[in-house]
Amino acid sequence: MIAREPLVLGKKSLKDVTDDICRLVETFPPGRFVGVFIAAATLFAFYIFIQSMIVAYGMGLQGITLPVMWGTDIVTFVFWIGIGHAGTLISAILFLFRQKWRTAIARSAEAMTVFAVMTAGVFPILHTGRPWLAYWLLPYPNQRGPLWVNFRSPLIWDVFAVSTYATVSMVFWYIGMVPDLATIRDRARNIWRKRIYGALSLGWRGTARNWNHYEMVYMLLAGLSTPLVLSVHSIVSFDFAVSQLPGWHTTIFPPYFVAGAIFSGFGMVVTLMCLMRAVIPGFKDYVTMHHMENMNKVILVTSLLVGYAYGSEFFIAWYSGNPAEQFLFVNRIIGPYWWAWGFMIGCNVLIPQLLWFKYIRTNIIGMFIISICVNIGMWFERFVIVEGSLHHDFMPSAWNLWHPTFYDWGAIIGSFGMFFTIFLIYTRLMPVISIAETKPVLSVGHEAGEHHG
Amino acid sequence: MIPEENSKNRPKYWLSLDQWRQDPEFMKFAETEFMSSPLRESDTGEGGWARREFLKLMGASMALASFGCIRRPAQLIVPYVQRPPEVIEGIPDFYASTFVDGSETYGIVVRCREGRPIHVTGNALHPINANGMSARAQAHVLSLYDPGRLNGPVKNLQNEKKTNHDTISVDWTAADKDITEQLKNGGVAILTSSLVSPSLDHLVGEFAQSTGAEVFVWDALENGAYADAQAASYGKAVVPRLVVDKARYILAVNNDFLGTWLQPTEQQRGFASNRKPGADMSKLVVFESIMTLTGANADQRYRIRATDSATVLMRIAHELLVNKKVSRYAGDAEVLKVVKGYAGQSAGIADAVYSKVADALWQNKGRSLILGGECMASQIAANLLNSVLENDGVTIDYSRSPNNGFKGRDGMLSKLIEKLNSGVVKTVIIHGVNPIYSAPAAMGFADALRKAKLAIYTGDRVDETGWYCDYVLPDHHPMESWSDAEGQKGVYSVQQPTIRPLYNTRGFGDSLLTWMKAIKPNNSLAHFDSYYAMVRSNIEKEYRADWVKTLQDGVINTVEAERGRSDSPRKFNAGSLKQAEFNATPQADFELVFYPTIGLRDGSMANVTWLQEFPDPVTKICWDNYLTISPRMSEEKKLQEGQVVVLQVGSEKLEVPIHIQPGQHDNVLGLAVGYGRSRVGEVGANVGVNAFPLVPVTNGRRQFAGVPAMFTATQSQQELPNVQGYYLMTGKSSEGANMGDSQIVVEATLAQWQSNPATGIEQQSDLSSWTPHEYKGHKWGMAVDLNLCTGCSACVIACQSENNISVVGKSYVLKRRMMHWIRIDRYFTGNASEPDSLHIPVMCQHCDNAPCETVCPVAATVHDDEGLNEMIYNRCVGTRYCSNNCPYKVRRFNWFNWGRMQPDLVASPMQMQLNPEVTVRERGVMEKCSLCTQRIKYGKMQAKLQGREVRDGEIQTACQASCPTNAIVFGDVNDPNSKVSQLLKDQRYYSLLVDLNTRPAVKYASKIRNTDKLKTSEEFYEGGHV
Repeated sequence: MIAREPLVLGKKSLKDVTDDICRLVETFPPGRFVGVFIAAATLFAFYIFIQSMIVAYGMGLQGITLPVMWGTDIVTFVFWIGIGHAGTLISAILFLFRQKWRTAIARSAEAMTVFAVMTAGVFPILHTGRPWLAYWLLPYPNQRGPLWVNFRSPLIWDVFAVSTYATVSMVFWYIGMVPDLATIRDRARNIWRKRIYGALSLGWRGTARNWNHYEMVYMLLAGLSTPLVLSVHSIVSFDFAVSQLPGWHTTIFPPYFVAGAIFSGFGMVVTLMCLMRAVIPGFKDYVTMHHMENMNKVILVTSLLVGYAYGSEFFIAWYSGNPAEQFLFVNRIIGPYWWAWGFMIGCNVLIPQLLWFKYIRTNIIGMFIISICVNIGMWFERFVIVEGSLHHDFMPSAWNLWHPTFYDWGAIIGSFGMFFTIFLIYTRLMPVISIAETKPVLSVGHEAGEHHG
Repeated sequence: MIPEENSKNRPKYWLSLDQWRQDPEFMKFAETEFMSSPLRESDTGEGGWARREFLKLMGASMALASFGCIRRPAQLIVPYVQRPPEVIEGIPDFYASTFVDGSETYGIVVRCREGRPIHVTGNALHPINANGMSARAQAHVLSLYDPGRLNGPVKNLQNEKKTNHDTISVDWTAADKDITEQLKNGGVAILTSSLVSPSLDHLVGEFAQSTGAEVFVWDALENGAYADAQAASYGKAVVPRLVVDKARYILAVNNDFLGTWLQPTEQQRGFASNRKPGADMSKLVVFESIMTLTGANADQRYRIRATDSATVLMRIAHELLVNKKVSRYAGDAEVLKVVKGYAGQSAGIADAVYSKVADALWQNKGRSLILGGECMASQIAANLLNSVLENDGVTIDYSRSPNNGFKGRDGMLSKLIEKLNSGVVKTVIIHGVNPIYSAPAAMGFADALRKAKLAIYTGDRVDETGWYCDYVLPDHHPMESWSDAEGQKGVYSVQQPTIRPLYNTRGFGDSLLTWMKAIKPNNSLAHFDSYYAMVRSNIEKEYRADWVKTLQDGVINTVEAERGRSDSPRKFNAGSLKQAEFNATPQADFELVFYPTIGLRDGSMANVTWLQEFPDPVTKICWDNYLTISPRMSEEKKLQEGQVVVLQVGSEKLEVPIHIQPGQHDNVLGLAVGYGRSRVGEVGANVGVNAFPLVPVTNGRRQFAGVPAMFTATQSQQELPNVQGYYLMTGKSSEGANMGDSQIVVEATLAQWQSNPATGIEQQSDLSSWTPHEYKGHKWGMAVDLNLCTGCSACVIACQSENNISVVGKSYVLKRRMMHWIRIDRYFTGNASEPDSLHIPVMCQHCDNAPCETVCPVAATVHDDEGLNEMIYNRCVGTRYCSNNCPYKVRRFNWFNWGRMQPDLVASPMQMQLNPEVTVRERGVMEKCSLCTQRIKYGKMQAKLQGREVRDGEIQTACQASCPTNAIVFGDVNDPNSKVSQLLKDQRYYSLLVDLNTRPAVKYASKIRNTDKLKTSEEFYEGGHV
């Protein structure tokens, strides 16, 4: 039998695992980390400024205008929601399929999901004309009749989908952390650290009963999250598909969006893991090249899926015989936003094909560049869908282009500040790799040949 | 028993020696009656807080803190203590009045709320414009609240050279004293625009007589050629009225009679009356150099040079008189001599066209109308043709009710300048014109005015002319003052004030009366104590009309019966043909045409925001003027849209951006006047460039067209605020305004319509998976006839006025954030050189299956049970999905608090114009056409109060009410007898983008062209046309 590649390198003992992972939480971070954190926090402060200006003055600060009424905020919202998908996929679906290679990256992927959804959630709220009234999108009992929301509107479905997704992913992420938080509590020498982590670990004692319940809850939550992977982005895609605008009004959107989301999510995980391996060298033993390669394979598959979706859209436009639809797709290639379409095809379909080569699949720099391309390409995919469909629709007299302003760039770039600031705080305060799940996949006590990981 | 503080007043009865001595220690002790006061004693020692005090203060601050959380303090307003008799809060008052705009006179009805004029509609009783309005007439109401107006008389302190200015306020008495002193010295001149007010005209005449003043009349936009040509051809200077409704064949050569010339509102109405498809549908043939609104409405349009107007007309005369030998002038040797000179001249148009036009004209003799350009020669040629074709007295009304405008002559201004320069005129009173701004630089008016001892200006602000004058004595706004107008002979309309003057202004008439009285107390008008008395006596004595009834009607029509009758033709004086300069005008490579725009005209209302943001009906550009150039020439000269060029006319130079205008002659440039005001206020200052100084004077007359010009391109680029995609004109196939088979504009030729009235129309299929809405009571609908719509855009401003639509300013129009609820889309067909135009007014279509309604998450846009798609502003959170899903793109979003972003454009006191019936929308809220839901509610309320059903036509939307051609009809489609239901039976009506199954309540009737073949675009510059 061919030996499987070990999931953790460096012949770690059980104590090594605990020490390695807890050390991050227990020691003052190295200078490199502090530098990165300050950079991210500055960007986050800039983002707060940008969004405050928009709240203070109005959405007109951004470049959106008739007929392109949705712009950067919606594109970036869909982008971040998409990023969030890999987390649920890795933690829930791969867990149910007993894919043990997920252990090293699951925690961070879940964290990424939660933070990406948080980052995304800011956009649709601040994108409204009167964000202080955005709570009207929630159906709550009120004295206006009561006046309910319009349940036919896909935006309402979106509110439910995203909030459900955010809640479930957060609970799933947190439940998975409970044994590890208890480990940190147990190792704590400082009384406050003990108290805080003590409260967070919900009285975990590591008894068999605890483990029994834990395993059951975790599996149930994984089961609960799995349909969400499909539902959230399907419903986000309804924001577009339910309209009658050429380029939006298409039935392929739900699977197309889900594939794209997984694609972009894995792209983001690869980016983050490459960075983590670089910033915290000790993690190379846990997030091994084997993990990275597996993720790259998923990227390659989903790249082909989105490529298929792009092609199928064109086919349907031709096959439908609808002139408005046909015009739109021709316009995508040779219209004013041809470059956005080019970015999308290049970054999402052509460049990921390099991952057919094992050399590139296992080359950190190569995969990092490709993952960045995927991130950019997926942003442009949403751009092509939103702006590319809106700027030329039915009435030629209303056609107009969208030009980004300072506040558009600020919102896109600043949102990364928000995401990375929260993510870096998380890496200091929480166990970034699941200690409890890593230990069972160690080869401690086994000969190399007997490993069944 | 407390001792008095004053030690001198010892107590009568005392307790102790200390008390008797008034010992301070004791006093302190005695005051604290209970020894240990719970109020005063400190808990923590001296200086600290006493416990009770602390509790008290805490309690008080808690109470205060909670008071801080109550709603903002109530600011009570007090309703009328003594209500003016006719004002009922919440109920509008309507006053008939008059608006005079250059050569145009409108009977108007001013709607006032709580004493404020807020909206203007046409006076249906008025024979000139009836209900029809123009954009300017609609915007008239906002000019009342122009923040740039002076609030009292001012004096400019000028130095020796009359350059160093400082403006101070004066009071009327002091100004009058100073002025009458100077007037007594003689040498007085009055410069006015054409006065169509009989009272004011009379007053000015009397004033001139009693003070020995001389009167000069000059108009910014008219060089007098029209009237002078009449004098030359027929012996008497008259400004004939165009009886367009009698014309079956109209030939307009460089004449924008539907847009800006003479009385466009009346002419549009007359034109529309013959546009019903059928055997006797009229035909409009236009030869023109730049694209005008008239050309845009032509059945057939040919491009000629600006200098070829007379040539074209004479060539047609040649066809008729020489080739076809028809009419009684065919034997007139004197006429033939001149006409024969035009044998081979074609002005670049195929010979067949002339022959065909001449044939058609002869067939329609006695019911055609020939209109010439701005030069004498073409006017005389047009007179000849009108006489040849027996139109004189029929479609050219020279006697029954001719126009009273166009009295100004360029020669008069030259004479005034001469007299100023020679010192004969010492005092000049300027009223109604702004010559420093609008006179050609070549005339040298500014230098001449400096020589006056005293210059008095009656404008409402210290504008260009005001800056040069010693006194600026602001006249009332027409809505604040009494006057009258006789725009056309025998049509006497009265102007009554609708609000007390906002500022310390005085009517020009009252000023003249005051000065006259001071100089000559026993003058012929001394018995009038005010101008109002003059106007009133004029009506009561001259017209023997009841004062109150006249004010109610707003008009006395003394020629009601005569207006419609024809008169016998006048004798055409063949000598006039020689008199005019018929020698071939030298033709330059580029001939410049100065033209007025429909929105700004002479620039007098340049500080009115609505008019600056008014998209030009032809170019769709606002907030700027530009040099128009043909597409072919722009390519030849490698010019981009918006590229700045240096235009040179004679020695004058001007930097101006380029606008590429399809349909313009390749050798012609167009430049709008009325822009580039320097001293007009925050809104209009330095918008565009001033073209007036460039206008040359040839043979004593300003030459507005065919001016030789040159230009050199610069590298700078200036974006033009075009409300419709300018990049559509690049001609690339993917950019073309053609969305496949989408049903947007439908047109057909008359022949096609005759064989199938529904040519080109796809009807709504009845298949639907939706249960349709049920409309048990009313179902509001609208019918828009594209055949009647000329694209004049009066409705745009009417809607803006009615619905409190904000302006956004140039910077935001450039971002396409304008807020107009109704827009006029303009499309071209055919090639870029000789296109045909189509105009389509697009407002909210009020779809039965409204795409916007389903996607709004908060149900802020919903369908009502009368078919309206309603927008609930205070529920809207501004997700803007409705706009994305609206295929017609009629929704407008409040990107900002516009008043905050554009404080100069949304400024006090403009808020006084706001219609209290319509919510002023907050930032972040979507808005759109409501089909004037407030008017529907008002109409239903009135009907209910009177216990009857709503009558058809009782409720009119603002756009409908202002339309001069009645192209828009609103009503109840559930009522089979309503006008809209009747109209919609016509097979020409179609739904916009019918394939989307939105089922709009607004339907359009296809455009029928009285031509042989529709244009198609086969090649970019050539081909495709007949």
